[in-house]
Amino acid sequence: MTSAVPLTLVEVSKSFGSLQALKPLTLAIGGGEMLALLGPSGCGKTTTLRIIAGFETPDTGQVLIGGADVTDLPPNRRGLGMVFQNYSLFPHMSVADNVAYGLKMRGVPAAERRVQVRRMLDLVRLGQYEDRQIHQLSGGQQQRVALARSLVTNPSVLLLDEPLGALDKNLRERMQFELREIQRRLGITSIIVTHDQEEALTMSDRVAVMAEGRIVQVGPPTEVYDRPRTRFVSEFLGTANIFAGTIADRAGPFDWAVALDIDRAAPSLVRSDEPLASGRRVLIAVRPERLAIRPAGEGEIPARVQDVVFRGSYFAYELAVPGQPGPVFAYSQSRRDVPADGRVGLTWPADGAIVLQDAP
Amino acid sequence: MITDVEMTADAERPAPALASAAPARGGRGPYRLVRSRWTIPVLVFLGFFFVIPLGTNVWRSVATGQALTAGPVVFYAKLLRDAYYVGILAETLKVGAIATLLCLVLGYPVAYFMVRHAGRWNALIVFLLIAPLLTSIIMRTFGWRVLLARKGPVTLLLHDWGLIARPANLADDPVAVYVALVHVLIPFMVLSIVAVLQQVDRRLEESSRVLGAGPLATFLRITLPLSLDGVATGCILVFVVANGSFLTMLLLGGGKVTTLSVLIYQQFNVAQDTGFAAAMGNLLLFVALICLAIQARFLRRQGVKA
Repeated sequence: MTSAVPLTLVEVSKSFGSLQALKPLTLAIGGGEMLALLGPSGCGKTTTLRIIAGFETPDTGQVLIGGADVTDLPPNRRGLGMVFQNYSLFPHMSVADNVAYGLKMRGVPAAERRVQVRRMLDLVRLGQYEDRQIHQLSGGQQQRVALARSLVTNPSVLLLDEPLGALDKNLRERMQFELREIQRRLGITSIIVTHDQEEALTMSDRVAVMAEGRIVQVGPPTEVYDRPRTRFVSEFLGTANIFAGTIADRAGPFDWAVALDIDRAAPSLVRSDEPLASGRRVLIAVRPERLAIRPAGEGEIPARVQDVVFRGSYFAYELAVPGQPGPVFAYSQSRRDVPADGRVGLTWPADGAIVLQDAP
Repeated sequence: MITDVEMTADAERPAPALASAAPARGGRGPYRLVRSRWTIPVLVFLGFFFVIPLGTNVWRSVATGQALTAGPVVFYAKLLRDAYYVGILAETLKVGAIATLLCLVLGYPVAYFMVRHAGRWNALIVFLLIAPLLTSIIMRTFGWRVLLARKGPVTLLLHDWGLIARPANLADDPVAVYVALVHVLIPFMVLSIVAVLQQVDRRLEESSRVLGAGPLATFLRITLPLSLDGVATGCILVFVVANGSFLTMLLLGGGKVTTLSVLIYQQFNVAQDTGFAAAMGNLLLFVALICLAIQARFLRRQGVKA
């Protein structure tokens, strides 16, 4: 239905007073791609979206939609669709009038409007709700009307501003799949702003993690999760145990032995595509699910179990490692026997540890 | 007044009935802080100084002076048949309508600016708006006399700009009445609209823009319809208060603007025909009641929709 249109931001920056909300940012989103802008509040993700929508004018840089420079166009002439966190449905109009609004503004005749509205409401499975008033709908239904309203005009790009933030957990998860399915079916270039890492990982083709007005890492969800480049990314997306250490020597084609600063029994392994010089100080991140718990005496790192928490699909072990500030977490599918004194050993495979770019 | 009656009835109801009715009526349980019998002092006050005088006024309009000889409705008949008085009534409604329209046209943009753009300047704007209300009406009105006098600053400025041919005493021109009315009534309009406009989510306007509507279409289709409640409240307040003003018309406009209120003042103080004055007062009250009825109906309709 929609021919996939790419969207490009070139060196876009924005300041509010003395606060630099967005440092010069360049980002290319392919046609039909769903990109998630993920970050804590105040990281610039909403500002980025508002610049794309045309609500804010960037101080520098350009916004290109399908190769055309739209930086100076008002929002109504950019041909976008947008879904807001609170749905932002017009309370004084019926469901059908809400969905028809964009068509009306484009001068589509009434008969044609009716057909398109019907088709869109069927797409979001609200065919029977045309004549309802907005306040008669549930949150999930309002969300669908907002989606139908934003898609009916065949926008070149769909902007989603925390679209599922106001829904409860179960409904949110269902809507994530539904939204993703509709986006794929229409092949519409989309940007979703979220602070929910799970939503970003579930829904997007690529995730751009933002912090303090810049993008710190962009990539497919698995890559950003498995190979975070910085401590911030590793800790914002999921949980990470961070260790400091010194590279000792090469242990395999891509594996290096690293002497951690903690009290260890033997050096641990890290994997890296680039060669690591011996003696280099590094920070490494290890996901809790890659940390394996062994009986005391085995593994490279002696540790003591502080607490075990059942989390439904896994057990979370909180461990104390001598020399490590703060607890270390390990997730395990099954419950392990922990000796009365809590002493265990920890180990991880070489590809379970990631060398971060931050200075240790 | 309907509320007053209900409250009196409530106070006399036995306690158990109150307790059982509590859940349905929301927050009126045995632990409530305010008891309806506490409203008795206010009700007594209103009874003596509002209800009884109103009643007396009605009685006076049908049973004093001419009414005793020529029949009880003679004053009302005179008001509604005599071309002069019908003209005065029309003038009253006209002054009210024009003042209301001016306040709306001038006030809406101010209200919009306050809600959407003013930020930290809001407090200053509110102060400037209500400053006229804090000034005595005599000072305010004589202030306008000075400003609009033949050699006053406003007149000279208008002359310099070539907007008026030769300096005239604008203070005795009907325009002065409207200027002074708008001056004091505009805060009612602005604050009524602000209260409602604050509830209109800015993202609704942004949604409209993204959907292809320009600024004007967005205003006409989204912002204005959603702020109509405030517009209606503001209009009715301004209209009713403008209808009741008479000092402004006495001191400005050179006696060229004669409304019902001015006539009431004259009948009481000059002609001392209290019966006729009472009839005119009741007519004015009736107009105000119609306005309130329209507003109540309008708000109820909106309430069902929203």
